[in-house]
Amino acid sequence: MTDGGSPAEAGVGSGADRRHHVSDYFRLERWELPPGDEERPSAFEGRSPLDDHTRGPGGGLRTGGLLTNLDTLGGFTSGLAVLPQWIVTTSLLATVSALDQVGPLRYRADVLRRGRASVVTALEVVDEGAHDRRVAAATMTCAVLDPGAMDLVFERPVSLAMPPPATVPQRPEEFFGIEPGEGAVTRLVLEDRLRNPWGILHGGAVAMLADEAACRAATAYSTAVAGPNGVAAADAVLHYLRPVRVGPVEARCRVLGSRAGRTAVRVQIHDVGSDDRVVTLGSVTVLAV
Amino acid sequence: MTFNEYPPPEHILGDLGMEAELTTETTARVRTRVTPFVTTADGGVRAGVLATLVDIVGGAIAARVLRPDWMATADLALQLVGPVCGPWVEARGTVARRGRTTLVLEALVVCVGEDGSDTVVDGRPADPVAWASMTFSVLPARNPASSVQTATELPARWAFEGGGLDRPILEALPVELLDAAAGRLSVAVRPYLYNSFRAVQGGVIALLAEAAGAEALAAAHGLDSSGFVVTDLQIAYLALGRVGPVVTTARLLGSGPDGRHGAVVELRDRGADDRLMTVVNVSGVPAAQLAGAQT
Repeated sequence: MTDGGSPAEAGVGSGADRRHHVSDYFRLERWELPPGDEERPSAFEGRSPLDDHTRGPGGGLRTGGLLTNLDTLGGFTSGLAVLPQWIVTTSLLATVSALDQVGPLRYRADVLRRGRASVVTALEVVDEGAHDRRVAAATMTCAVLDPGAMDLVFERPVSLAMPPPATVPQRPEEFFGIEPGEGAVTRLVLEDRLRNPWGILHGGAVAMLADEAACRAATAYSTAVAGPNGVAAADAVLHYLRPVRVGPVEARCRVLGSRAGRTAVRVQIHDVGSDDRVVTLGSVTVLAV
Repeated sequence: MTFNEYPPPEHILGDLGMEAELTTETTARVRTRVTPFVTTADGGVRAGVLATLVDIVGGAIAARVLRPDWMATADLALQLVGPVCGPWVEARGTVARRGRTTLVLEALVVCVGEDGSDTVVDGRPADPVAWASMTFSVLPARNPASSVQTATELPARWAFEGGGLDRPILEALPVELLDAAAGRLSVAVRPYLYNSFRAVQGGVIALLAEAAGAEALAAAHGLDSSGFVVTDLQIAYLALGRVGPVVTTARLLGSGPDGRHGAVVELRDRGADDRLMTVVNVSGVPAAQLAGAQT
């Protein structure tokens, strides 16, 4: 589930340290663009630096981090397109074509289709440090929902400055509370800072868990899948089936096969404390790097 | 067999000779024979053909699970995993979640023998050929758009009967190449390509996106399209293609040192005010890199 933004995140009445929120850990700055034509009714741009502690073995931003930024930006874009209703992410399909990003990264989100029950948004990422090379593309589908008691009031156009750098940098695994489990299992401890304004686990945290779990599973499968720098997650397909409310959270992986430096890993994520129900299903392509 | 005259007698599903079986209330399998007309340069089955298999297996399950409601494919993701060993490839689908407005399914594509058993390699079942997932939007039964009004007539087994392909599948559609570097392809909309809404079938859209991506990626590397193998398709279906011609364009993504390359392919219905129908993220590798590679 995305946090999709909230009045608090938009800077309305929030005095909290933004570096401690999932959507700001990767220091995503974002701003709303003027409404376009009927085909693209809502759009956002964003920008994030590439801090050393968020780089992965591929050299650029960890794919889980990239997905977190895509989920945040896409959620915001989709949500503003359906006000006074709001959204919840149901699927994120992302292709990360270059892992060796230089940074900073620039993001663009455009609503492609705004229906009664769902919103589809396209996202693209370019690497400013590599002559605006396109490094990733994604489509995100969100279900439209009733925001209930949540008071969704935004100052338009929405603009959020880049959060300041961390004074004591934490690696993503540490920030997200991700721990190795037995075999092809990887766990996440559901701490409050990982919850979105709806009280459920942020979709970016789910993506980060999927990244880490898939890489661990691929490495355990065979040492032959790794390159000189190890392995790194690239393309990802995530279907957010149900919200994570209780925790702890477990990613259970199955390596489907490996070929030409690409290992395909099926990832199924469970909310252990909620009758072990399946909350996310997807796959991650793990590359030798 | 047909459901209210779908598919028509001459249809791509018939030419692919697909055989389907509903194995339980929430699972199904659909298979097609591996022939040279559906393979790429590395001998593997085209990602677009596998996506067609997946779309059909998903549709079969969805029709049973959702009855009397109907459905439209909202997204489909396919990831090639291993080489195809034939003689048949079979998509095995299962329900991941049934929601109020959507249905999410998962499918594994495996190689099977003439008798339907898993192909064995080195004494154990061969690795899957592909993994796929898809989301269907639930359409209330009163929706008049589909020619298929009810799914209660679905049998346990059926086959899409046709004459079989006598040429490569892209020639059978047929696809016209307009500009390889730009991934510009064109195809006329005709009954041969229809889905149950009398619009372009979801698997055909996957085939077009695969072909457009391969053309653009290959052209960027000075190769012809057979020199590139598409390994991943991530498809977001936005609108039906009813009028035609359907025209594709491709935008290349940058690539890293790992040899993978990507593109974003858009499909538009030229005859319907150039309406954006579908956006597809395509990944691929040079065929030479894939040939024989297996860790």
